[in-house]
Amino acid sequence: MKSHYAIEVVNLTKMYTPRGKPSVHALKGISFTVEPGAIFGLLGPNGAGKSTTIKILTTLTPPTSGRAVVNGFDCLHQPLETRRSLAVVLQQNAFELYLTVLGNLRTYARFHHIPRKEADRRITEVLDQFGLYDERYTHAIDLSGGMRRRLQVAKAFLSGKPVIFLDEATTGLDPINRRTTLSAIREQASKGSTIVLTTHLLDEAEDLCDRLVIVDHGNIIAEGDLHEIKRLGVPAYTLNLIFRNVSPQTLQFLKAQNPLHFKHNDTAADITLQRSHQQILDIIGELDRHHDLVHFEVHTADLEDVFIDLLSRQKEEPV
Amino acid sequence: MKSIPAVVYREYLLRTTSLTWLFFDLFMPLIYLLIFGIGFDRALSEGIMMEGQLIPYNEFFLGGILAMTSFGIGMNTSYGFFMDRDNGIFYEHLTYPMTRGEFLLGKVLFNCVIATVAAIIALGLGSWILGISLSVAHLPLVFVGIIIGTAGWFFFLMIFALRIRRNDMYNTIINLLYFIMLFASSLFYPLDLLPSWLTTAALINPVTWQADFLRYFTIGVGDLPQIMLQSVYFLIFLAVSFYAGTVIIRKIA
Repeated sequence: MKSHYAIEVVNLTKMYTPRGKPSVHALKGISFTVEPGAIFGLLGPNGAGKSTTIKILTTLTPPTSGRAVVNGFDCLHQPLETRRSLAVVLQQNAFELYLTVLGNLRTYARFHHIPRKEADRRITEVLDQFGLYDERYTHAIDLSGGMRRRLQVAKAFLSGKPVIFLDEATTGLDPINRRTTLSAIREQASKGSTIVLTTHLLDEAEDLCDRLVIVDHGNIIAEGDLHEIKRLGVPAYTLNLIFRNVSPQTLQFLKAQNPLHFKHNDTAADITLQRSHQQILDIIGELDRHHDLVHFEVHTADLEDVFIDLLSRQKEEPV
Repeated sequence: MKSIPAVVYREYLLRTTSLTWLFFDLFMPLIYLLIFGIGFDRALSEGIMMEGQLIPYNEFFLGGILAMTSFGIGMNTSYGFFMDRDNGIFYEHLTYPMTRGEFLLGKVLFNCVIATVAAIIALGLGSWILGISLSVAHLPLVFVGIIIGTAGWFFFLMIFALRIRRNDMYNTIINLLYFIMLFASSLFYPLDLLPSWLTTAALINPVTWQADFLRYFTIGVGDLPQIMLQSVYFLIFLAVSFYAGTVIIRKIA
């Protein structure tokens, strides 16, 4: 029976056994599902198993055990059908160095069996979308790093496949290129593509992803939408404080709260604290009564704080 | 099978739009033929003694040039493979909607086509400029030898491109292979002129098997029973290289 999920991973394990070295247990039995049309984030520190998961789902490497299904096709037993359903932007750069931008896109279209007229239409679209039109006759080897990365993403979006994997697609991009790429990801998802992305930029995951999974040492340590993930961490709040004057006593008081982050100047301070909301209100009350507080704003912790907290706890209590 | 044309198209775009590739694929062996060959032809003005007859060096050398063409194209493709791995596009290719078999077939098909074109140029120039008289009735077999030879070299040299990760190591090994395999063979000279240890090494060298075959069917000189036996050896070499290459590519990522 075909799964209704775009991606289904069940007890996936992967063991690498390099010659002459100890085995590496890259994945230790992870399971998750991705709904069709969702933007799904796979987060984790370096070496967590994110890229291994992507490699298994894109049929680059077989799993040691478990099941990985993409668009209803088993990655191990139906690799060709699986590959027909997906496009991928790999973590490393990947382009035809000695072909032009247009040559890269045309070759890619041929490999994905896109008819010529349709390919030309889509190529024009992605050239515009990724700001590559003026560089269409430039050889890939002569492009800047950011342009090359954009070309890679443009190829994946050219394919029109139902599932797209982006393995750190915005790494190395400047803010403008990054924004272009993120907009393109949103647009592609709005057309119905399921997008799985890995990223180290947690603000990007926070901005884009419908659901997230946090992986560490081959295990899933958190799964859910953004709010569910944030609730898993110890509550944390960021206070933006404005004073008439930040006195040494005020500084001492704030530092004594053991903040996660703290920065200040003569009249302002930003501080992130892991406290309950009542405790936060108490601290603000104290600042207002005794420390010349003029204005304050309170924000819940961002994903990065939760991420670091979860990983720290994982180190203390490993799965 | 519909991915094979895409692979061929990609190889065509890369190899025919670059002067560097075109030079090494099509013209490098001709430089050997037209410069090295002419020089040695003059130096060995009486010719080379083979199978009891004196033949001009150029005629002897043509068969070797055709073998060099095959080997050279295999080497160029191996280098292309290595560069593709190095710049990441090879791994992206493995995620495309095609089987590993289609991928390899497309590459080997392109290689065989370009080797055939290079052979036609070499045979044409050899006949026209150097006055080499060819055994026309056997030319189809020459092209069979070129195609099978090119396929064999493709799979053999591909193994090094897929197994070696370091650029310096790859370049060293491939250049060593080029030198040893081409010079410890019957490509440049008859084996009976060589010391026994070198003759032995040359007899177990697939370049010799291919060069002897091509030499016999271009100018009709050689030991036919020995050549037939060597052809079987080459087919075994092709089969083993094919098997090893396909196993490696399946495990590559």
